[in-house]
Amino acid sequence: MLSKKIDALLDRVQKPARYMGGEMNCVLKDPASVAIRYAFAFPDVYEVGMSHLGSRILYDIINKRDDALCERVFMPWVDMADLMRAEDVPLFSIETRSPVGGFDMLGITLQYEMSYTNILEILDLAHIPLHSEDRTWDDPIVIAGGPCAFNPEPLYHFIDAFSIGDGEISTLETIDVVKQCKQEGVSRKECLRRLAKLRGVYVPSLYEASYNEDGTLKAFEPIEEGVPRTVVKNMVADLDHAEYPESIIVPFMEIVHDRINIEVLRGCTRGCRFCQAGMIYRPVRERSMERILDLAKKLVDETGYEEITLSSLSTGDYSCLPQLAHELMERFAEKRVALSLPSLRLDSELKETLEETQKVKKTSLTYAMEAGTQRLRDVINKGITEEDLMSSVSDAFAGGWSSIKLYFMFGLPTETYEDLDGIADLASKVVRKYFETPKNIRARGLRVNCSASCFVPKPFTPFQWEPQDTIEEFTEKQKHLCRVMRIKGVEFNWHEPHVSFLEAVFARGDRRVADVLEQAWKLGCRFDGWTDQFSFDNWMKAFELCGVDPAFYANRRREKDELLPWAFIDAGVTQQYLWRERERAVAAQTTPDCRKGCQGCGLKRFEGACEGR
Amino acid sequence: MLLEFRKDDLVRHLGLLDLQRTMQRALRRSGLPIAYSNGFNPHIVMSFASALSSGIPGDAELLDVSLKEEVSAETCLEAMNRVLPPSLPVTRVRVVDDRFPKVSAALRQAQYAITLTGSDAKKIADAVPIFLGETEIMALRKTKRQETMVNIRPMLHELTADYDEASDVCRLTARVSFVEAATLKPDLLMEALANYAGAELPRCEIRRTKLLGLVDDKPVPLFDL
Repeated sequence: MLSKKIDALLDRVQKPARYMGGEMNCVLKDPASVAIRYAFAFPDVYEVGMSHLGSRILYDIINKRDDALCERVFMPWVDMADLMRAEDVPLFSIETRSPVGGFDMLGITLQYEMSYTNILEILDLAHIPLHSEDRTWDDPIVIAGGPCAFNPEPLYHFIDAFSIGDGEISTLETIDVVKQCKQEGVSRKECLRRLAKLRGVYVPSLYEASYNEDGTLKAFEPIEEGVPRTVVKNMVADLDHAEYPESIIVPFMEIVHDRINIEVLRGCTRGCRFCQAGMIYRPVRERSMERILDLAKKLVDETGYEEITLSSLSTGDYSCLPQLAHELMERFAEKRVALSLPSLRLDSELKETLEETQKVKKTSLTYAMEAGTQRLRDVINKGITEEDLMSSVSDAFAGGWSSIKLYFMFGLPTETYEDLDGIADLASKVVRKYFETPKNIRARGLRVNCSASCFVPKPFTPFQWEPQDTIEEFTEKQKHLCRVMRIKGVEFNWHEPHVSFLEAVFARGDRRVADVLEQAWKLGCRFDGWTDQFSFDNWMKAFELCGVDPAFYANRRREKDELLPWAFIDAGVTQQYLWRERERAVAAQTTPDCRKGCQGCGLKRFEGACEGR
Repeated sequence: MLLEFRKDDLVRHLGLLDLQRTMQRALRRSGLPIAYSNGFNPHIVMSFASALSSGIPGDAELLDVSLKEEVSAETCLEAMNRVLPPSLPVTRVRVVDDRFPKVSAALRQAQYAITLTGSDAKKIADAVPIFLGETEIMALRKTKRQETMVNIRPMLHELTADYDEASDVCRLTARVSFVEAATLKPDLLMEALANYAGAELPRCEIRRTKLLGLVDDKPVPLFDL
């Protein structure tokens, strides 16, 4: 009946394939055969959510259990969401078009702050009470995880339990607990209590925050005996033995990353000081070449995809990358499978591999320079020099590439206008390099795409204490950049500071911004990450109505001894290490990659981490 | 290889590009010895007899695929259905040589099953015999570039209506021209018919049931030509 109703809506919306289901390799299980029905929600549209690797891993892991099933849920685009409200159609799962509110558990992945209003929209469309305390056993247990869970406080009111760190083990453990509780018939509250005892699980309703007069956090304490004071993140020590999907859904419609994605390593040891992922996903763990080749074969056979991506935070650091790339090329040449290598690190020995890659397909090369001068790159500990860039693009131009992307940030701590000029300087030098390459060997049609985004300080980074530039400061810098970036052959893009400002508020927000979030959603905010949907005015109105000053969160410098809202989480890296790195940053001192010597970040406290180092 | 397949209701919203991608990936998974085109960007050599619009399901759509080596029809059918989603099954396969013109060049007509539910369904059903008696029926054909009045009657070769009172549903079968110069789209036909009957067009479900060629002026399914 619901399915028919949904079907009728599909004739009236854009991109109905988003809601269609029935794709190759999607898993259909008999709901009567399982104890736990798990809905896994990605708070954005289908084509974005389906591109997310973590969701695919968890979908596979849950469905491998005999006693559980997992179905996918995505945020319906605004046309569909409005129609669903008008026609009284609740949010439904893709696989069986079942109401999300009827599942036992609802997992939500937190990939970026600007998806937070979509989470409220999802709960509302699913007819699940917004606030954890208003839910009963008739509602699913709402669990959220992902990088943004490392500062869960802005969502404390809406989520029953957060899972912090790697999700492979934690997801299964939470299912075990909920299953047990349902079988025993204990209260929902008791179930949350038991969840809180699992490693890496944070149940916000079991903690209380109090504030100083100046608005900073005074204390953060559990309100019950037996609830852990510190929540320690989960970590999968051995990637080779961790579950990884050997078959994945092949969507009918084109999705953002429409290819096979193989995670070759997790974590990064370079220690870029702005990078949250580099800190919270420590330590580095590699998947063996043997396992990767095995996965590649199985996935190519199972999906028919024509492209493989080797993904990680820093694929260039994979210890036998040239060999792996070569092997993959060789094995799949006949099947015309192309290999793409994202996040190429300049200082990795990839020349040979690149030569191999181009045999199949020539894409544009991306260089994340992040800052325009060596001084500022030292501040952020981005271990790339101008020579690295120049020698790499020089090889690329000689090898027939003509399309280069350069990524920068602006608003970084200690930044001056000289650093901004450095961005233009680098871009011009790349252009010059192209024209120095002999005409008979370089490819035609030079394209240097240069983009600059606004720096957002994130928790668990050495810059977590730093103020973000104000919108006015960003705007001034942006104007300056536009002036100096008028270079022939260079296209310059920048990001609007308004979204980054809100991102900064929610990245380092505490419980008090939860009200703002709810208010903003009530005013109609959703899909804030989509330029055409974003309404800065509504957000400002929400702050005003709640009496919360966003600048307090975005633009304020924190003192060393301030109690940070996320300090109760043990993310592996210690606060002492982060402060030490902050001090070195201000002094423009670099810190070497920890593979070349331990920097004492704190991960050694974890069993099985940093093994052999 | 000539593959006849069904596009079920569930996947009716797939557009041509989606369908192309899906079939290409299915072919790659099937293990069949598919042929790739030469050139800078090699792709699978295949073509549909006719693009079926997004939103319309089909009972007997046709896909022409080149293979490097000959494979039996049964092997091909089995291999494809192992890898295709249940809503896109291959129903028949025929081994054809890579002759010219291609099967799609023989396409002349298409047959549609149309279901009208509610309001003026009966009124429309009743109008069919008189509608067919006309020699000229003008309708406004809209293309991306222009709107033109055309006589659609010569493009309509068969039209039957079956009205069920209990459910207030009218089931129509329409066989229409399907050649470049004269293609009658089923939605245009329905608009014209409703207009002729002086009725409001009710909810209308369209399904393409046949792709036809002509042998001695008689319609024959393309697959069997």
